[in-house]
Amino acid sequence: MQFELINVDKIYQASEENKIFGAKNINLKISEGDFMALVGPSGSGKTTILNLIAGLILPSQGSLKHGGSDITSFSLEERTKHRLDYMGFIFQDYQLLPILTAFENIEFPLQLKGFTKKEIDERVHWALKQVGLENMGHRFPKQLSGGQQQRVSIARAIAGRPQLILADEPTANLDSKTAQEIIELFKKLNQEFKLTFIFSTHDQRLIDQVKTVMYVKDGQISETRTHHA
Amino acid sequence: MNGFKFLLKFSYRNLLRSPKRTIILILSLSLGTGFIIWDLNFANSGSKEVMKEFLAQYAGEYHITHKEYYKLDNKKEFNNFKIITDDEIQDKNLITFSTRRVTAPIFVSGEKKTLGVLLTGLETEKETKLTTLARAVTVGNFLNPLNEKEIVLGKRLANRIEVNVGDEVAVIGQALDGSVANELMRVVGLIDFGGGDLEESLAFTQIKSAQELLVMTPDQYHQRVDFNMKDETVPKIEGLAVTIWTDILPEIGVSVKFVDNFTWLVSIIIVMVISLGLSNSLMITFLEREQEFQCLNIIGAKTTWVTVSLMIEVFLLGTIAIMLGTLLGHISTTYFHHYPFNIQFFTGGKPIIMGGMIIQPLVRIYPVLEYYWKVPVMIYLFLLTTMIYPLIRVIRRSKNAI
Repeated sequence: MQFELINVDKIYQASEENKIFGAKNINLKISEGDFMALVGPSGSGKTTILNLIAGLILPSQGSLKHGGSDITSFSLEERTKHRLDYMGFIFQDYQLLPILTAFENIEFPLQLKGFTKKEIDERVHWALKQVGLENMGHRFPKQLSGGQQQRVSIARAIAGRPQLILADEPTANLDSKTAQEIIELFKKLNQEFKLTFIFSTHDQRLIDQVKTVMYVKDGQISETRTHHA
Repeated sequence: MNGFKFLLKFSYRNLLRSPKRTIILILSLSLGTGFIIWDLNFANSGSKEVMKEFLAQYAGEYHITHKEYYKLDNKKEFNNFKIITDDEIQDKNLITFSTRRVTAPIFVSGEKKTLGVLLTGLETEKETKLTTLARAVTVGNFLNPLNEKEIVLGKRLANRIEVNVGDEVAVIGQALDGSVANELMRVVGLIDFGGGDLEESLAFTQIKSAQELLVMTPDQYHQRVDFNMKDETVPKIEGLAVTIWTDILPEIGVSVKFVDNFTWLVSIIIVMVISLGLSNSLMITFLEREQEFQCLNIIGAKTTWVTVSLMIEVFLLGTIAIMLGTLLGHISTTYFHHYPFNIQFFTGGKPIIMGGMIIQPLVRIYPVLEYYWKVPVMIYLFLLTTMIYPLIRVIRRSKNAI
């Protein structure tokens, strides 16, 4: 199922005269297996577009669609459930719960989805294997390195096999070597499992690896480039 | 079920997130709970012990009298012409733990001075067994049951009319047949009520002497005073009045009620103060985790889930604290049950005077079952109230973007 943003504007209105476009006339289609990046300087609107896709904020104009459903018509709770059912998230600062082990952090969205214990065990082990942390499920985040924490965060995002994974500056807090490993991991997940990724990033190494790069400037997608493998 | 287990684990682990803070919160709440339970038990037992001591000295738990003996609206006033006999009391068990008294408003005269007092005729032998009145005689002796026409005076009264043990006093009153009653009685003892007012207005003699003075037959009397009220309920006796001590001495009953209610008020204030502190701590704890709540929302946790997890967290904290506090309260109560507490600790060793009588009780604290559920319920309610504002803040601020 496609995710689609059609003529989307997001206006932050400080006053009647003072309107700021967080996103302007965004038209975007995300299909299964896409591996794309939103690129632009800070404040250009990349994160706003990610938030719009996730349904975390609603557009001032235009529509957000997933399959046949108009997400803008969903209530807050319905949008939360929609994210849980169809999306995974990876954050710049990992956002793991410090009180839960790696295993339990990955387990968290699966519990919210209502999976059985057996399904959860299978999926968490699968996700840990994909990110190369099979033996570290029992560790708490503070017992893991930054790269390992980001791997747990990726495992949490993919364990529910979502239709779309949104990653906000996923390599920004990592050293060069670790960042490269994480990028390779994203590529592997995209190629092997057809997982769909959309990144917001500054990282040229990541930009070089994605199939589609969308340059964002002043809230608008100013240019789209497609890399051919 | 699996999801709920996870929710419980999540909430429980959050308590361990900052162990020192959690321990301080639990300690403050449990100490408060423990103190309140102990304090309520103490106040209850204290009131009961003081009252037991006071009532055992002289006043009794309730009086059986003629229906018109005590004035309906003011039990301080009585009609001395209204007498009863034991034939009017069907339940003879009531007689076992009670004693008969004859009351006579009289003038008592020494050589130089005369004062109006209430003379009470006592069944001396029974009175000694049922009351502690005889122990209050500090000069001379209490009334001898084998003798007649002896009188025991309050110390202050004896001073006022300038008589001492061994002196004779003239007793003048009105007999029930309307004639003037007068008698010479020998002072055998002086009673010390700690200098209270009763020392100046009470005198005691053998019941037989009082009956003769008032021209009453040996079976007639005014009051049957009971010292063994069970379950705080007074018996009903057809044709007679049964008046409980709280009606006879309303000012003392009110004081006891005041102490009980004041203790509850203090308890509520303590809980409120702890709750405010707790609310503040919860607010800080929740606000520190604000970004985490936003993340939870982004990855799919509904606001309801986050709210319930926080409520469980506070409930777990409260339950641990309340259990610990109840245990502490019970241990301290039990300790003071085995080692009674001398309430003169609060008066710097000075005697306590109540209703004109001296009280020197050791308070043995008894656990009262109802406090063991009422106090936890009260604390749970306050915890619930305490949570409201921090939760509203969390709910408002957890809906956010990446």
